[in-house]
Amino acid sequence: MEDEIFEQRTDLGKLNTAVEQIKATLAKIIVGQQGSIDLLIAGILADGHILIEGVPGVAKTLTAKLIAKSIEAKYSRIQFTPDLMPSDILGTSVFNPKTTEFEFKSGPIFGNIILIDEINRAPAKTQSALFEVMEERQLTIDGQTYKMEEPFIVLATQNPVEHEGTYRLPEAQLDRFLFKIEIQYPTLDEEIAIITQQHQQKTSDQLSHISPVLSVQDIVSLRQQVKGFHVEDKLLAYTAKIIHESRNNKSLYLGGSPRASLAIINAAKALAAIKGRDFVTPDDITHVAAPVLRHRIMLTPDKEMEGVTPDDVIAQIIQKIEVPR
Amino acid sequence: MQRLSIIFFTLIITFFLLSNAFAASKKTPLKLHPDTSKIEVKHFNKQALDKYKADKDFNYNGEAIGKPSLWEVFWSWLWHKISGLFNRIPYSGDILEYLFIGLSVAFLAYIIFKSLGIDPIRLWRGEAKKVNIPYSESLENIHEINFDEEIERAVAQHNYRIAVRLLYLRCLKQLSDKDLIKWQIDKTNSAYLYELTNPEQVQTFGLLTRQFEYVWYGNFSINKQAFTNIDLLFQNFKKQLP
Repeated sequence: MEDEIFEQRTDLGKLNTAVEQIKATLAKIIVGQQGSIDLLIAGILADGHILIEGVPGVAKTLTAKLIAKSIEAKYSRIQFTPDLMPSDILGTSVFNPKTTEFEFKSGPIFGNIILIDEINRAPAKTQSALFEVMEERQLTIDGQTYKMEEPFIVLATQNPVEHEGTYRLPEAQLDRFLFKIEIQYPTLDEEIAIITQQHQQKTSDQLSHISPVLSVQDIVSLRQQVKGFHVEDKLLAYTAKIIHESRNNKSLYLGGSPRASLAIINAAKALAAIKGRDFVTPDDITHVAAPVLRHRIMLTPDKEMEGVTPDDVIAQIIQKIEVPR
Repeated sequence: MQRLSIIFFTLIITFFLLSNAFAASKKTPLKLHPDTSKIEVKHFNKQALDKYKADKDFNYNGEAIGKPSLWEVFWSWLWHKISGLFNRIPYSGDILEYLFIGLSVAFLAYIIFKSLGIDPIRLWRGEAKKVNIPYSESLENIHEINFDEEIERAVAQHNYRIAVRLLYLRCLKQLSDKDLIKWQIDKTNSAYLYELTNPEQVQTFGLLTRQFEYVWYGNFSINKQAFTNIDLLFQNFKKQLP
């Protein structure tokens, strides 16, 4: 009916097909987690880095690997360990005795999709190595700047910080992640489906037969399309109010940054694209607010002791602000 | 080689023991010298002692000095009663002492937590604090708008965008009046959609919501014909309501 009243002004056919293809690819292996998968796709369309958190054994790494496999791009995997050095990630200059010159040997960060497994097992010194490359998509080593190829996506997994052998990531680094997606335990039905799938040994076969559904050029052009989506001024103000409120909230020691405001808008555009719209609604903004903000805000120690979670505070902040209508 | 080192160490130890024995044989016994100096006995100044005794600042026994006040009489009576009560119980003195220590610690902890802004009772129960949200006042209250008049005016001005918005707000008011949704300024359109339970209403309201969103958030241009179609959808939805 709506098609009779309003004709689509943007051709979302290619985008919708791409989204459906990725979802179908992931659905072959991953049981449930529809919300997380939507956010992962939205993160890729919004040109963001994604942090996936969950207890061991909830398929964080598998999900990230499948997303990476569904895109035909240069893929690197870095396993973060406590003794990892910045040069192990970025690369280092090595002396070549033949030419009597130093040559730069690039590290695994030089790729399109970088899967950093267990990111919070490396100390802050190693994490700092990622600051420049995550934000500016470039690296400066020995006075030489190296530009990253587009798209450049960091998919990182981590265990909750309370777990043994983990460090809290620096705030500056957390702010560079567009989303923090929390992978929850599956429901009973999902758990049964996982066991059945494994029992029938479907997973191992299918994993090796996953083929890419999107090229690097596709990703770049889809991102350009999403960037041009319409956002009403009142929704920009609505987003700004949410972030502003997070800075004045008494439960928070650290509120959202201006980068968080931009992240909400970009993520909301990408989510709108997944839902087949070329404009943002307040629902898109409230939907992405928690994954965008939960890792950027810091609770006051007393609220942390009381058992309040960042998601609780984000919900309270959203409740305070009138939806523009 | 090993034998030589054993002989060497034996000689060293023997030499050490002999030298100690030789040094001990040379020591002479100590002589005590008695102290014969004259001792002068000094006495305390009685007046000064009495003065100190009369000063309550130096009264460390807690005994009343002079006539007790009414307040002191009351407390003395109260403590007497309490201790009388506890004296019937074996080891009551210890119990009373530990009870007061425990209460004092609990009170001190309560004061510290309160000063930090933490509710210790909630902490004890393991509950998260529920914050009462002070709502900022809505600029427009759907229950105070004269929709018929405002829609008529918007249509007359060919401002169909505003007219669709007013149609949608009126629809929310109708749903709220019939207790099908609970109107709140922070709720999004999909939140209202989830509140509806009748599948037909859900479907139609979903469609109306999309029309409104295309016009209001999507900035889709709307002409008279499109508005008439949307208006018709809203009118049909009103007929679905109980």
